[in-house]
Amino acid sequence: MSPVQRMRTFPRARASLIGAALLAALWISSFALSHWLAPLERHCPLGRDLLRPDQTVCELAFGGLWVSLSLGVAAGALSTILGLLLAVAARSAGRAVDRWSMRLADAFFSLPDVLVLMVVQFAGQTLSDLDPRFRVSPPLLMVLSLAIVGWSGPARMLRNRLETLEQEDFVRAAKALGAGRLHLIRRHLWPGLREYTGAIFLSRVPAAVLAESTVSFFGIARMEPMSLGRYLGTSYSSLLYPSGARIVLPAWGMLVVLVLAASLAGRQVQWPRRG
Amino acid sequence: MVPIVALASYFLMAALPLSTEDESKRQLPPELVASYRRDLGMGEPLGFLRPWKKLFAGQRLGTSAQGITGDELLTKISGSVAVGLVALALALVWAFAYALLRLRTRLSRLSPLSDLLPALAFGTPVFIPALLLAPYAAERGHLIPELAAALVISWWPGVLLGSLITAALTSELTRDYVRTAIGKGLPRSATLRRHVIPNVVPAVLDSIGPVATALLAGSFAAERVLGLPYFGQLYVMAVLQKQVAVVVVATTAFAAILVAVAIAVELLRWLIDPRSRASAPS
Repeated sequence: MSPVQRMRTFPRARASLIGAALLAALWISSFALSHWLAPLERHCPLGRDLLRPDQTVCELAFGGLWVSLSLGVAAGALSTILGLLLAVAARSAGRAVDRWSMRLADAFFSLPDVLVLMVVQFAGQTLSDLDPRFRVSPPLLMVLSLAIVGWSGPARMLRNRLETLEQEDFVRAAKALGAGRLHLIRRHLWPGLREYTGAIFLSRVPAAVLAESTVSFFGIARMEPMSLGRYLGTSYSSLLYPSGARIVLPAWGMLVVLVLAASLAGRQVQWPRRG
Repeated sequence: MVPIVALASYFLMAALPLSTEDESKRQLPPELVASYRRDLGMGEPLGFLRPWKKLFAGQRLGTSAQGITGDELLTKISGSVAVGLVALALALVWAFAYALLRLRTRLSRLSPLSDLLPALAFGTPVFIPALLLAPYAAERGHLIPELAAALVISWWPGVLLGSLITAALTSELTRDYVRTAIGKGLPRSATLRRHVIPNVVPAVLDSIGPVATALLAGSFAAERVLGLPYFGQLYVMAVLQKQVAVVVVATTAFAAILVAVAIAVELLRWLIDPRSRASAPS
């Protein structure tokens, strides 16, 4: 079946491809406009920002889009990797470690992202400000915070997936033939886990973008350059002015499209098997 | 979970270097840092109980201007819980409306629109609709800001619940017992009321925990934007002003609320669903 036929036959695959394409287009366009095509932004039809008259709305909105998207992708990747490592370690270490680590993951998962992110940001900023050994840039601190917040969901899902795969006959046969744990993971389990890991990564991106935008909106995260959330947080008072909507609505629209694209992309990355 | 959260947040806050010898980096005056260390009971045996002892003794935790007493904390929590309960009721209204829309448009051209709604709802952070309502609702009194907060918080959880109700209804409506009931002459409305909905309710109850978490977390942004002086606003201001003891207590209180919600849902499920009573160990 050709890729075009797959897209016609499987609507979910079509939706995820559209989402992934939209995500890539947003990333490329925001990067290009913020870094290479900055002079174009000076001629923004939306005019200048009311609180920062030396910058146009386009500069701030597209710059914020690039920052939010980059943070979301980096944090989604890191939390997925952490979750995967923990899932593999838990399944390899034995039943007691597996059970207790998943209980810890469940307890962590039940806490809201925004709450834990605020506490971690607070601790990280205080440490970074006052102890030179722990100094990190705000974007890196945000990525690390989002990864600390977001590891539990992927860990749980990947652990369950590993458990299912380990019950398959081909894995049992490999074990019976004397395959070691590393060989099993690399040759037999990882091919079955790969696409699922990709889908989980794409599902973490919108969650990371939303959590970062909410915390930046509160002013707790000191994102420089500004993310979309921080831009909205510092600009929402513009709504009190007659022309304030031109400042807030584009950033809002970009945030919604970004999260929508990431949600669509994460719907189903797994293609159906051939034959 | 509550003791783990209490201890983890305490030791994390206690480990923070709130003071430094470098004048240019000092963010807090020394007397304020000393006050925070007293609040956390640092250097005392069982110091992690100190914030709670102060709270239960009716003393003010944190600085005199921005701190909080036990009574104030309870008042703020009740305010947020009340807004959350109204939001939950609104979420159920959205849920049933969305479920009806999904069932009606399932096979029509409007189906992609109803598929798009969950993504739109998930993709809109709470503070955005709150910002749009703020000029009309903030500081109006007569509980208008509270209603506005409940409205904006309830949207995404409502759509989520609606998706779950739709899936559960679609599954139950194809069951044999429904065909049998209709075949025996029972009106459709009676079939829904007596047979289908009681089987859908447990699925809804299972999702109340995550919905409650989303409602409480959403209240942080809504209260901040609409200027409501409740728990969400308290938490955000405590973090911004580095009120470490208040952060410890508020984090633990939040975890306790979530646990209370989970217990309430389990009790409700035990009362409503005879299968959970039958499956319980004797």
